[in-house]
Amino acid sequence: MASLKDIRARIESTKNTQQITKAMKLVSASKLRKAQHNIVNMRPYALSLRRVISDITVTQKITHPLMERKDHVKKVLLVVLTSDRGLCGAFNTNINKYAENYYKENKNNFEKVDFFFIGKRGLDHFAKRKIQPIESITKLDKDISYKLAAEVAEKLLKQYLSGEYDEIRLIYNEFKSAISQNVVCETLIPINVGLSSFAEGKNKNNFSKDLVFEPTAKEIIDQLLVKHFDLLVYRCMSESVAAEHGARMTAMENASNNAKDMIAKFSLTYNKLRQEKITTELTEIVSGAEALK
Amino acid sequence: MFKLTLVTPEKKLVMEQDVESVIVPAFKGELNILSGHTPLITTLETGVVKWKEKGKENYNYAVVSWGYCEIFPGGVDILADVADLPADVDAEECKRFISASEKRLNTEVLDDDTFTDISREIVRKRADIEISKYKLN
Repeated sequence: MASLKDIRARIESTKNTQQITKAMKLVSASKLRKAQHNIVNMRPYALSLRRVISDITVTQKITHPLMERKDHVKKVLLVVLTSDRGLCGAFNTNINKYAENYYKENKNNFEKVDFFFIGKRGLDHFAKRKIQPIESITKLDKDISYKLAAEVAEKLLKQYLSGEYDEIRLIYNEFKSAISQNVVCETLIPINVGLSSFAEGKNKNNFSKDLVFEPTAKEIIDQLLVKHFDLLVYRCMSESVAAEHGARMTAMENASNNAKDMIAKFSLTYNKLRQEKITTELTEIVSGAEALK
Repeated sequence: MFKLTLVTPEKKLVMEQDVESVIVPAFKGELNILSGHTPLITTLETGVVKWKEKGKENYNYAVVSWGYCEIFPGGVDILADVADLPADVDAEECKRFISASEKRLNTEVLDDDTFTDISREIVRKRADIEISKYKLN
């Protein structure tokens, strides 16, 4: 049986842990708010970019190598997006598991499956399994900026255009809400602009065919597609960051609750033990006094 | 009179504001957009975007780097990579950056990509210095 002093020490240390987890939860909550803000800020840009691309491609009947789906996909590049730090529940485990299963299932279907890691957790996980990436980016501790996303996008684009791969897919955590994340596998290239904005039909009417282009429509599409791709990568990264903070917030909330339960349990044992000790002492005194009579 | 929207991936600077006139650094040179302009799509060079709000005397300024501008009946959408308002600009910092980069261009051997990148940054910082005069104090 542990002594009173031991139990007191354990209560203290649990309290300290609880303080840390509480603080981490608060930090994550504020970071989450910022990340969500980022996603919201990006929306008008993304929407209007996509609208213009699909408007131009449809009305001017332009096709672009980046948008053409290949018939036989043989070489695939998997981009795995994780976080740099742990303590965020199943956030990274889910991604790694998914990527590993995906790799095992499709290894034989394709000629080549390569990896590109963003985030330390994914890199470490696969390094243990002796899978070397073609490239990896790990220093994500600061907030993900558009500039960083553009750099990643440029690298991926280069790989694709050089003919190394037929398809580039991204595995990441989609942000659903602060408490739930979804592992998603999305095809980055070929770019799927989608004619969805046309289906919405809202802007179709005021888009004139006599539109003036400076420089030519083709050149504009070239540049816009690259921007669209940058933005796609940026969006996925922002979602992943938001999801990470959400996951960490939930994990820390659970940890704080667990610590609370533990403290309650220890306190109970502590009080019982203390009472027992007092009772024993009293009995001793009383029986000592009896003996003296 | 028409509506102006100026956004970047990271922030919304102007959302559907009523304006009288917009001047953008377009592909073929500066472009002044007034109400009733032909529909047009153009890419933007690094430079200064100016717009005059409805009923105001003075122009507002922002520096944009690569972007594009879509003019449609009823409004102008400007999508830029980066956009700085006069309040975001530190003129001293820009001057230091320009002199440091010019030194690099003159002394180091750089590959084409870096060279273009640096030159573009210099143009942007010059534009930053230009608009920093309009900082509100």
